[in-house]
Amino acid sequence: MPRIVNIGPYRPQLLEPERFELLVENNKIIDANIELGYVHRGIEKLFTTKTYMQNLALAERICGICSGVHTLCYAQTVEKITDTPVPERAKYLRCIYMELERLHSHYLWFGVLAHTLHEHEAFLRIMVEREHVQDLLEYLTGNRINYLINTVGGVRRDITLKKAEKVREVLKNLRSLSDYIMSLLDDNGVFTEKIKGVGVLTRKKALEVGAVGPTLRGSGVKSDIRRDDPYAAYGELDFEVITEDDGDVYAKSLVRARETFESISIIDQAIENLPEGEISVKPGEPLVKEEIGRVEAPRGELFYYIKSNGTNMPERVKVRTPSFANDYAIIEMLRGERLENARVIIESIDPCFACTDRVTVIDVKTGRRREVQL
Amino acid sequence: MSNKISIYRFMSAGCNGCDVEIFECLVPRYKLGELNVEVVSSPEEANVLAITGGINVKGREELKASYEKIQPPKLVVAIGNCALTMEIFDGGYPMVGPPDRIVPVNLYVPGCPPRPQAIVSAIAKALDKTLSMEENYWDAPEGFRGLHEFDGEKCIGCGACAQVCSSKAIDIIDGNEKRLIKVNYGHCSFCAFCQDECPTEAIKLTKKYQMLTDNRNLTNITNEVQLISCSICGRRFMPEPQIEWAIKRVTEKVNVYEKFMDAVRRAMRICPDCRRETENIRDAKKLLLQLSTVARINRK
Repeated sequence: MPRIVNIGPYRPQLLEPERFELLVENNKIIDANIELGYVHRGIEKLFTTKTYMQNLALAERICGICSGVHTLCYAQTVEKITDTPVPERAKYLRCIYMELERLHSHYLWFGVLAHTLHEHEAFLRIMVEREHVQDLLEYLTGNRINYLINTVGGVRRDITLKKAEKVREVLKNLRSLSDYIMSLLDDNGVFTEKIKGVGVLTRKKALEVGAVGPTLRGSGVKSDIRRDDPYAAYGELDFEVITEDDGDVYAKSLVRARETFESISIIDQAIENLPEGEISVKPGEPLVKEEIGRVEAPRGELFYYIKSNGTNMPERVKVRTPSFANDYAIIEMLRGERLENARVIIESIDPCFACTDRVTVIDVKTGRRREVQL
Repeated sequence: MSNKISIYRFMSAGCNGCDVEIFECLVPRYKLGELNVEVVSSPEEANVLAITGGINVKGREELKASYEKIQPPKLVVAIGNCALTMEIFDGGYPMVGPPDRIVPVNLYVPGCPPRPQAIVSAIAKALDKTLSMEENYWDAPEGFRGLHEFDGEKCIGCGACAQVCSSKAIDIIDGNEKRLIKVNYGHCSFCAFCQDECPTEAIKLTKKYQMLTDNRNLTNITNEVQLISCSICGRRFMPEPQIEWAIKRVTEKVNVYEKFMDAVRRAMRICPDCRRETENIRDAKKLLLQLSTVARINRK
């Protein structure tokens, strides 16, 4: 007789509230539902009540982990609407800040993974050393989270020679942290045994459900907006798109671990080749047009659509965040798995429900539940 | 009160930045362990409820239910500005209000998000304990965007800060004689747009980040500016320093206007209503004509 198991919504082990309804028989998950809406804030509506500049702060607060990349995507789309050319130096600085963000996001994910797998020692080491990135971001931008560094027409703070020295110093520490994480994932690593073969998402299924980012790359699909549709200075920087073929939680972890090395190398290159010049220009007037923008957030492809009517406020802003695209992948991965693996599978896509809940068309008014049918 | 402090974290509609920072508090450096504090996974085991984010329609009942289950002393800490005023999400259609509209809140930790240091000090304060603060990470770095500070000498009361503010945290209130500029830092998203836009660099975000309070109405920084009265009807309509600043700017940019400054000053001291009266329009036209003639000659 199948029984229904609820995970969430308010469970501190999950970083954010979300209800997962699992249909379980003999400790095996046979079906799953996701219920969204616990973090819904009506942001897309709020976007239309603020000016283009004020919206930067709002875009940032869609999600507190990948906050910078939201402002980048928003700013790049508004730059298309206002026809603003971005200085070369700003493009390189954007790459540096965004890769730092990818680093802290990936490290946080490993921290959460260690927490989920009850590896207390690994959790502490990762979180302690992750503080290096947070301290650096605070030093460079003025805040640990929600640093609001991108603006329409460039970036708000420069990286001087003194600051660049500090960045290089921190990168050295981060390399050793990444090495440590790789050691957790090697043949004798404490993570390996627990996550190998768990929650397999095949290449075919991954493409079918429209997964993005490390979730998709972990299933062997070479997809990265930084390479496919280069923005900022990514076209001029040299990096590898990491893929793994197995599609299980282990493959996704490996993708993220190897990506941290790529990020460190990108920051290194950008600091070395930082062009001289302005860091921002004054944005132009908004034209009457529609534009889209997309960037590679730490969790995958982030997509913005903005419609302008020529006033200082946008008429419509639509956001598709990576976690929303990956939610369907969770259901695919949960099917046929053992119940005790459910949490690590849910965590494996690095879900960011603050992102997702803003996008979902939750019927708050009627109270109707949105269900994901399989 | 039992010695063990167990915190149950309740995240409602926020950006999860505060939740990441609470997660970060578990790092030994922040000494949460020193306070004998643990984070637990069910409200039944907890005696402290930490709320982050504003409350939306879906979270309302859940919050009530969780609050009921918390063990005595039932301490409630609202972490972050969303839990204080909903900050930038104020006005969003699914929002029902900050948590204190639903359950009583004992302590507020303003910040967006508050630094882990601020969260840990708040918990220490709630427990009447002191933390050793000698290590260097307690100070915020140079350029940190923290609590606001007004330079009363420099502020001209123009209200540019209120216009660019991304979360409507700054209010301009015109009183009888003075204009009050009120920054509600419990509503602020610390974007520093006000600091960037201020024409006289009068508002600044300082390195101060400890803003713990138990009264939600006291999260204000204010500055007062004298208003001038209209030279005809006597109505107070504009800050005194703003007019002086405008005149100074004009003379700096176009120094040939200097000899008309008295006339310009006279014209500026008339309120918008009186300016529309016939004789004043005639005077203003005459003045503008003189100014444009000077400008034309000067250009040649």
